[in-house]
Amino acid sequence: MNLFERMQKLDRRWIYIVVALAIIIPLMIPYDSDNVTTPPTENLYQMIDSFAGREDRAILMSFYHDAATMPELFPMEVAILRHAFERNVKVFALTWFPAGAPLIDYAINSVKEEFPNIQSGVDYCNFGYKPQAFAMVMGMGDNISNAMNTDAEGRKLENLPIMKGINNYSEMNLVIEFSGSSAGMTWIVYARPKFGLNVAVGVTAVMAADLYPYLQSGQLIGMLSGLKGAAEYEKLVDIFAAYRDPAIDYRVTTDAEGQKILPGRPFGREILDDESSLDLSKITTQTKARFTNEQFVAFSGKYPEHLALLNSLREEEDGKAVIDVTKITPEMRDQMGEFLYREINQLTRNTQYKFKVARIGMNAQSVAHIMIILFIVIGNVGYFIQKARGQNV
Amino acid sequence: MSFELFSNLVGAFFTLCIFSFLYKDNPFYQAAEQMLVGISLGYGLVFTFERVFIPYVYQPIIIKHQFMLIIPAILGILYLFRFTRNLAWLSRYPIAFNMMMVGMGVPMGMHASILVQMRQAMVPVETVNLFLILLGTVAVLLYFFFSKAHSGAYGKFVNVGKWYMMIGFGASFGLTVMARISLLIGRIQFLVNDVFGLLK
Repeated sequence: MNLFERMQKLDRRWIYIVVALAIIIPLMIPYDSDNVTTPPTENLYQMIDSFAGREDRAILMSFYHDAATMPELFPMEVAILRHAFERNVKVFALTWFPAGAPLIDYAINSVKEEFPNIQSGVDYCNFGYKPQAFAMVMGMGDNISNAMNTDAEGRKLENLPIMKGINNYSEMNLVIEFSGSSAGMTWIVYARPKFGLNVAVGVTAVMAADLYPYLQSGQLIGMLSGLKGAAEYEKLVDIFAAYRDPAIDYRVTTDAEGQKILPGRPFGREILDDESSLDLSKITTQTKARFTNEQFVAFSGKYPEHLALLNSLREEEDGKAVIDVTKITPEMRDQMGEFLYREINQLTRNTQYKFKVARIGMNAQSVAHIMIILFIVIGNVGYFIQKARGQNV
Repeated sequence: MSFELFSNLVGAFFTLCIFSFLYKDNPFYQAAEQMLVGISLGYGLVFTFERVFIPYVYQPIIIKHQFMLIIPAILGILYLFRFTRNLAWLSRYPIAFNMMMVGMGVPMGMHASILVQMRQAMVPVETVNLFLILLGTVAVLLYFFFSKAHSGAYGKFVNVGKWYMMIGFGASFGLTVMARISLLIGRIQFLVNDVFGLLK
């Protein structure tokens, strides 16, 4: 038996082992790689970001799936919730699937852990499971409070602070449906033509090809497709919504005119195209906050009472001032307070595991794709060489 | 042992049981497969009772006395008569009622899925992308026009439609592979991170 015959008769279990290793190794040893963002993801990000800080705008997230499609859809939901909570965007959530209800709680609670000021009924509202999708979709076009009546906790919607300024689709102007099957169709067919609602979807990669025509026609304003879409969105949130300028004092939440000062920064093409933005979306563990001298002076100037402490933590590295968070002892942490500690931690640009799941997964995905392409090429080479030799294949 | 750790260990055990099928069929795989079917059915039953029957049938009718809801409840119960030989015809009434919804969906579905798509295919051909869309639309439509033989210059043109479809199928297949790998990644992330806590 020659090499090519052996290749054709290779036990498939060897292939399983190679594919498993190709996925496990990149997961165990994460490395920084770039995920180039695509227009459907950027458009959705910008649309959500345009609602930042507005009382009279909100997004609706429809969790139209169960646990089977969580590996692809859950990171998208977490990324969008993180974006909304960072940038003060009101969020409503519902599901047409009874099995989707616990997933809403799981997603919101996972993200909320990192945002102590976010409150149910004020910053977000979970409608929970609702039957009769058609009636609800049409009813919300007239009045959300009347159609939904109560939230998942049984509270009357009209009494909730989040409903201030929100009546119908004129205000809750964007719905994002996450699904592994017919994502967004109820909204595209009924709500978009009648009420002009903006619709976006987060779908499993299997479904993405079916939905591209709706993007081209403008019926969908954006789409996150599979793990790749989730990874792109995670990156955008890291670069823009979770960005912190060392010089800005984030303890001040309103300006002189009473307008909200929002954390993060708006989407900008030039920022995204700049190679330095890659430093903001690393998935490897980061422990050092780096400042230029001017930035350090501005940063420490915000906390004159902790100036001595910050100076004692300051180190020099490549001409930059550096604070290593691993060198902050519990006593120092108590002394500086939780707000300052969190701010320094955020300036390290370290991303928590739950906010980079998709990007870590995409590393494994890339390696697995290369392996699969190699298998296809090697298999074909073996097949055609045997065929050329006139052997039975 | 905390509940989270216990549930993760149970999840890990059954994940490995299912993966063991990749080596060969074995009792662990079969046990896991049959438990999945049984537990899914039981969970679905209890879940539907808790999240659908109680809040949308029992509470409104029995507690809030919204007796009008008895009519749709009875209509729903008629579905169950499909399992009897003599009274199976009763189940046609809720089906007929549901057809009203289908009727309502037809004009709006036509608008969203056909008319809007047609309108977008009829825009001025100002860019290369729009030209490619026009070419693909015409070629694929003609490929399925069987009243004329696919031969000569016409045959070559409709062959372009076949190529378009092949590219479409290839893209779908690639995305399907990506989705399946994502599911595997999700499971391995669960094993590596949630169970063993090896990722940071």
